[in-house]
Amino acid sequence: MRRLLIGLTAGAVLAAATACGSSDSSGSDDKDKASGGTTTIKVGVIPIVDVAPMYLGEKKGFYSKRGIKLSLTSAQGGAAIVPGVVADQFDFGFSNTTSLLIARSKNVPVKAVANGVASTGKQKADFAELAVKKGSPLKSAKDVEGKKVAVNTLNNICDTSVNESVRKDGGDPSEVKFVEMPFDQMPAALAGGQVDAACVVEPALATIKSQGGTSIASLFVDVSPDLTVAMYFTSERYAQKNPGMVKKFQEATAESLEYADSHPEEVREIITTYTKIPDTLLEQLTLPRWPAEPDRASIERLAELGQQDGLFDKAPDLDKLLP
Amino acid sequence: MRGANALLGASGLAAFLALGEAVPRLGVVDEDYFPPTSRIADAFATELADEAFWTALGDTLTGWALGLVIAVTAGILAGVLISVTPYLREATASTIEFLRPIPSVALIPLAVLLYGTELRSVLLLVVYASFWQVLVQVMYGVQDVDPVAEETARSYGLGTWARIRHVLWPTALPYVMTGVRLAAAVALILAVTAELVIGAPGLGARIAVAQTSQAVPEMYALVVVTGLLGLLINVGARTVERRALAWHQSVRGEVAV
Repeated sequence: MRRLLIGLTAGAVLAAATACGSSDSSGSDDKDKASGGTTTIKVGVIPIVDVAPMYLGEKKGFYSKRGIKLSLTSAQGGAAIVPGVVADQFDFGFSNTTSLLIARSKNVPVKAVANGVASTGKQKADFAELAVKKGSPLKSAKDVEGKKVAVNTLNNICDTSVNESVRKDGGDPSEVKFVEMPFDQMPAALAGGQVDAACVVEPALATIKSQGGTSIASLFVDVSPDLTVAMYFTSERYAQKNPGMVKKFQEATAESLEYADSHPEEVREIITTYTKIPDTLLEQLTLPRWPAEPDRASIERLAELGQQDGLFDKAPDLDKLLP
Repeated sequence: MRGANALLGASGLAAFLALGEAVPRLGVVDEDYFPPTSRIADAFATELADEAFWTALGDTLTGWALGLVIAVTAGILAGVLISVTPYLREATASTIEFLRPIPSVALIPLAVLLYGTELRSVLLLVVYASFWQVLVQVMYGVQDVDPVAEETARSYGLGTWARIRHVLWPTALPYVMTGVRLAAAVALILAVTAELVIGAPGLGARIAVAQTSQAVPEMYALVVVTGLLGLLINVGARTVERRALAWHQSVRGEVAV
């Protein structure tokens, strides 16, 4: 027994020693990120329509001509992207504006660097709507009082915007019952009667419409016609260390956004490369707008509403968040 | 006997597929959200023709296999070590019982913080979930060692290593194989779940993309793939088990009947 223990102890010590050795030598391999003048940057995105400009911009060479090679990783929503960026797993990430405001109000060191996606500003023709199923008795935002409304995340952009739509329609938002579920399950939940209305985005919105469902309010337009719905962001640490790279990323993204905004057919085409949206839905999608710059006034409005709805105690410092 | 079993199994599956075709066709559930078997089969065929599908399958199998090898190796080593060292057994018993029931998926935020959406995140979850399956089985197996055989070995002057090799290991092996078989199934479930939730490349991430894309038949086709994979892994694990335990009465008994 004693011999076995001695052997094991020796083995453990040896293992610990080699582990230390390998971590010592791996301390200086950061340089291999940059090779031949191009730098690979990792961006955490979501496999949805909104991030099409990034894929399009990469294809068009807007990034490569600035020495950037994009490595796009489709993560499943903010649950992976915000911590991923803060923990340096991603250099940049994509997140909705309210999530960034909440993060900032909790002093999570995130910094928006580029616009992500914006509302179309057109009533009943936005890429996100408060939708009901075919034949629903609900006709306008006020009617969801006392009803169940599906949102993808509680206490986030969907419920504050629904609240605003209800308020503008003369209703009492505190009466609305919100239910959390992923966007892709909302069409089935509406059809099955589990919820009465849903804050839903494309392509689930197109599915609902194809089955005769309708929109009863354009919640993002109600907040602000130019609402900046999502932005690309990085961590404060990355921004301080790599100001040059942030600037290049901003320029390339602005160019990509502008290009996507004026080439909707190419956008629909690029979407098929990273999503599996069926052809029948693809043509019916309402594309968002992609302005080159975030709209500060609309973000201020979103922050006010968030504060009003108790998402954060004090309004986050927009100067620290915005580029 | 075997042929009859296979026939029964196949007819059961056929009945299940027929039910899958009939239920949406009869309008019991909405065809848009639960497509009939034939439409899923169509999507399945399209998947098989897609190169990206095979890459995803490879990613999932890599995560599964690596995770399983790490978990089994660590489980066997730790299990034997803890079992033959009374102090260690006393010291770790309550910790093991505390850690074992923690669902691996609860560690997803930790995995993302440490490794982002890489393979290592998947491995963390897979290894955590399947390690306990092996460890606990090994510990049960070691407890099952016949004290008379153990004492006999001691009185013949066998050293610790020889006793582990000739007395402990043959007794524990059937338990170890059970642990490995359980771990193989759990590892697959966790690999797919991790990809699905975190977005690490693999079949799970592909299912997630199909979901967010409202591509319902494609999503079910991929779910079917994971089911088939589970089936194959189970058959494979049983074959390995039978080979490794060919000398053991539980397996020899099966053949005699």
